[in-house]
Amino acid sequence: MKTSCIIVEDMQIAADFLRKFCDKSELIEVRGHFFNVAEALDFLDKDKVELIFLDIEMPGASGFELLDRLTYSPKIILTTSKTEYAFDAFQYNVTDYLKKPFTYKRFLEAIDKITPPAAQGQTPAPIPSGQAADTDFLFIKAEDKLVKLVKDEIFFIESMKDYVKFVMAGKNYITYSTLKNLEEKLNGQAFLKVHRSYLVNINKIDDIRGNILYVQGHQIPVSKDHKEELLKRLNIL
Amino acid sequence: MKDFNPGKFVFNTRLDARFLDELFDGDTVYTQHVFEDFLRDLPDYWKSTATAWQNGDRTALRASIHKCKTLFGYVGFTDIQRICQEFENSCADNTIGDLRSRYQVLLDKKEEARVIIEEEYTRLKSFNGL
Repeated sequence: MKTSCIIVEDMQIAADFLRKFCDKSELIEVRGHFFNVAEALDFLDKDKVELIFLDIEMPGASGFELLDRLTYSPKIILTTSKTEYAFDAFQYNVTDYLKKPFTYKRFLEAIDKITPPAAQGQTPAPIPSGQAADTDFLFIKAEDKLVKLVKDEIFFIESMKDYVKFVMAGKNYITYSTLKNLEEKLNGQAFLKVHRSYLVNINKIDDIRGNILYVQGHQIPVSKDHKEELLKRLNIL
Repeated sequence: MKDFNPGKFVFNTRLDARFLDELFDGDTVYTQHVFEDFLRDLPDYWKSTATAWQNGDRTALRASIHKCKTLFGYVGFTDIQRICQEFENSCADNTIGDLRSRYQVLLDKKEEARVIIEEEYTRLKSFNGL
């Protein structure tokens, strides 16, 4: 049984390629191609498909906005020309991320990751809009690959304009994101903003002297605005 | 000595032949079709780019170059893709004036690409007997 899909893609040439690959595979049935998010959502209101090939940068709403507005959880394969979205993509728990133009071999690798819910006797479960999987790890795009970081091993995260640096034991990673974005993603977990440029893993704090945190040999400034919240979160006797 | 394989279409050396071989897997009819699509779509995409440039609209310019970048990729201009990516990145931090020389480079590359793909399309038609 073929997996039903739609293609949300504003470039005709890219959509044609994708449709050709789907047909060639004999595994995927394309139910429609939509040039923008609004048209795709209209279709999905009436017809639920198991898989969505989704571009990110399109006129009007972005692919991520479609993900935020989905009322069920189909498999998602993102198709984009930019690698900068990889971090957000994996926060949305997408099945795969294809950088255009991609080969048939790469397409098949992505398809291999899909198990049709129908084959498992499952129906797609509703999910809260845009909610990422609550895991003890995250993936970041760094050094031309997706690197898995265990959250508890991160000492702190430092803002570097449009990038952030993850500081860990023996190795640092830089990726394209903002501290604000990470603060939202890690909300309610062990990470706390102590300065406009720093999110700190409170489990890794060794001591505090005045307005300086000592974190595994690193000194992190604490701003006046964040000190009260920091003291609340620490288990002070 | 250059290898000669009468059964294999040999791409212009300006194109990333290795990537195109992977992308099209030897399907020269589909290659021809995609090259035709490139020639159809490029003028429209570049028109948006030129309009954004004339209006000094860096956001629209970046978005438009982003589309062109992907299009160049489908016909094997991986080097122009890189130039487009650098231009996209530059749009965020530079004024239109700062971008002028890079824009001119892209304009020249676009025109070079168009001519090469027109020639390749003609050769493919002949190769495919279509």
